[in-house]
Amino acid sequence: MISVVCRSPRQHVLKYFSKHIKVLGTPYSTRVDAKQEEVLDKVDQPDSETTLADSVTDPLKHDDYFNVKSMFTKHDLFKARVHFGHKVGVRNPYMLPYLFGNRLGSDIIDLEQTVDHLQRALNVTAHMAYREGVIMFLTRNRQMLLLVEQTAKECGEYSYCRYWRGGTFTNAATLFGAITRLPDLCVFIGTHNSIFEQHRAVVEAAKMNIPTVGIVDSSSDPRLITYPIPGNDDSPCAIELYCTLFKKAIMTAKERRVQDKNIQEEQVKS
Amino acid sequence: MVVILHGLGCRYMATSVISSGRPEDDASTTKAEQISKAMKAYLERARAHESFMEKEIHDYEIGKRHLAKIMGADPDNFTQEDIDQAIQYLLPSNLFDRKSRPLMKHPTKIIPQKIVAQFGADGRPFDPLFYTGFPRYYAQIHDLGMVFENLKKIETEMMVKKMQPEKELDLGGSHWINKQSVETMLAEELSPGQYNQLINLLDRIAEHPYAYKFHDVIFKFRTELAAQTSRLEIPELKVSEAGRLYQEATGGRKTAVAKVTVWDNGTGKVDINGKNLLDYFPYILDREQIMFPLQFTKKLGLVDFEAVITGGGHSSQAGALRLALANALRSFVERGMVEKMRLAGLLTRDPRMRERKKYGQEGARRKYT
Repeated sequence: MISVVCRSPRQHVLKYFSKHIKVLGTPYSTRVDAKQEEVLDKVDQPDSETTLADSVTDPLKHDDYFNVKSMFTKHDLFKARVHFGHKVGVRNPYMLPYLFGNRLGSDIIDLEQTVDHLQRALNVTAHMAYREGVIMFLTRNRQMLLLVEQTAKECGEYSYCRYWRGGTFTNAATLFGAITRLPDLCVFIGTHNSIFEQHRAVVEAAKMNIPTVGIVDSSSDPRLITYPIPGNDDSPCAIELYCTLFKKAIMTAKERRVQDKNIQEEQVKS
Repeated sequence: MVVILHGLGCRYMATSVISSGRPEDDASTTKAEQISKAMKAYLERARAHESFMEKEIHDYEIGKRHLAKIMGADPDNFTQEDIDQAIQYLLPSNLFDRKSRPLMKHPTKIIPQKIVAQFGADGRPFDPLFYTGFPRYYAQIHDLGMVFENLKKIETEMMVKKMQPEKELDLGGSHWINKQSVETMLAEELSPGQYNQLINLLDRIAEHPYAYKFHDVIFKFRTELAAQTSRLEIPELKVSEAGRLYQEATGGRKTAVAKVTVWDNGTGKVDINGKNLLDYFPYILDREQIMFPLQFTKKLGLVDFEAVITGGGHSSQAGALRLALANALRSFVERGMVEKMRLAGLLTRDPRMRERKKYGQEGARRKYT
C-alpha cells in the first residue's frame, strides 16, 4: 500500500521547492556554482523520511518530471531576443546579478541564468498544473494582452490582463460576493503596470502567500517574485516564446496527470 | 489504514497519517474535504436560502387562508387576484409610489433568486476570465480585439495582392446600442468607462475598410433608427371618382397654413390659390423650397398638385407648402424612403415663430439709441 502526505498543490509544490528558493533567492548571488549544485543534487534525491510509492514515484522527487529542460535551448532564447534589457538609466539595482553587461547603453541579460530560472519556473508551473492548481496569467502589456489571454484560455487556465481591481486577492470575499478559491500560482508576463509602476498584483499575491512566476526585465524589481525569470518583457517575439513554453508545460503536465491516473487505477484494480 | 492519493483532490485532504487506524472516518473525511472551501460556503448559503424560502412560503400559505376567512371566501380556491383585491379593500393606501403600498405575493415573486455558483466542486471557476470580475464583458472585448487583429491581417494580405475592398460597410439608419442594452446582453453591470471602451473599440472596427466582412459581429451592437418612423402611421392613397390616385395633407410654417392635394400620374401641373407656380412665387428661393420634397422623392414632373395657402408671407407660405407636400408624398413612396425624408428634415415642422416686441425697445432685439 502507498501513502503520500497530501496538502494543497500550492503548499505541496512550495514545500519542496523552498529548498531551491533559498539558493536562488539571495539577490546578489551569482550563477549557481559548484557548491550550490551539490546542494541542489542533494535536494533532488528522495528523502528517507517521506513514505513513497513503491511502483509510482513521487513526481516532486523527480529531477525533471515533465521534461521541461528539453522544451527550449539557450539559442532559442537568443533568437527570441530575450537577452535585450532596458537602457542603463532605468536599471533596477536588484537586477544586477542577472546582467551580463551592457552594450551601446543597453543592458544585456545573462541568458545562462535565464535558462536555469526559466526551467525552474516551467517545472513549478507544470507541477502546479499536474496537481490541478489554479494558474493565472497576468500582464498589463496592451500589445500582447490578447495573446496572453488566448494562451490562458487554450490551456484551460485563467488570465487577468485588464485593469487590476484593487483587493482582488486581499479582499476577494467582498469583491466576488462569496468565499472564492484564489489562484495557486500567478504567472506574470511582465511585472509592470505602467513604465514606472510595479503591477499591483505582485504585492497582493505576496500578501496572500501566492507564489509568483515573473519575467523580470532589467528595469523590474525581482524581490517579491518567487520565481523570477530574467528576460526581455517587451518584445512580441520574446513574449510569444514565453507563452508557448508555459502553455506547453501546462499541457504536458495535464496530459501526464491523465496518464498517471489511468496507471494508478489499473494498479488498484490488479 | 493508508490511502492512495495521487494528485486528484489532494489539496483538500488532511494528512492521511492523522486518520490512519479509523477506516470509516478516513473515507468520510477525504470525501467531504474534496469539496473546496468556496464550494462548501456556497452550498451552506444555498441551503440557508432554501430553508428561508420554505418558511416564507409556509407563512404565505397560512396568511392566504386567514385572509380568505376574513373575506368570507373559500380558502382553497383563493387566487392571487382575490388576495390583491382583499388587500386593497382591507388596507387602502393612496401612497404615490406603488412600491410603498401594501402587497402580498408569493415569496418567489418578491425575493430575488440566488445566483448560481460560478465554480465547480473543486473551487475552480468555469470562466477563464472569472477573476477579472466582469468575465462576459472582458470575453466580449477579447473577441472584438481578435476581430480587429483579423481585420489587420486581411488588410495586409489585400495590400500585398494590390486589391481594394469590395464594398463599404453601411452604418446609415442605425446607431450603437445604449449602455443598458449592453448590460442586459452581457448580464453584467458596467461602469460608464467600460461602456465607452466597448464603443470605442466597435468604432475602430467599424471604421476599418474591410469591416464589411464582420457585418454580423458589428450589427449585434447596433439598433435600427427606422423604429421612429415605423411607429407613425402613413395614410393609404385615396381614389377619386374618376379613378385617379391622390393624397391630401396639410403643413404649416410661422402663421402660414397650406392644404395640398397631390395627384398621381401627373405631368407636373401646379395650382396654388388658382395661380401657377411662377406667378404665385416669384422668388427662386421659395420655388426651390417647394421643389425640394418632389426632387428628394424623385417625383418631380410625375405628380400634379393643387394647394390652398392662407396666412403668412411668401417665405413662410413656401415653407408651409413644402411640409404639406412632403407629408402627402409619404403615401407615394416606400417606408425606407420615408425614413430618409425624416432624416433630411422634410417631415419636421419648423418650430420657430415670430419673436415678440419688448417694451423699451424698438423691436424684438433692436434698441432705441
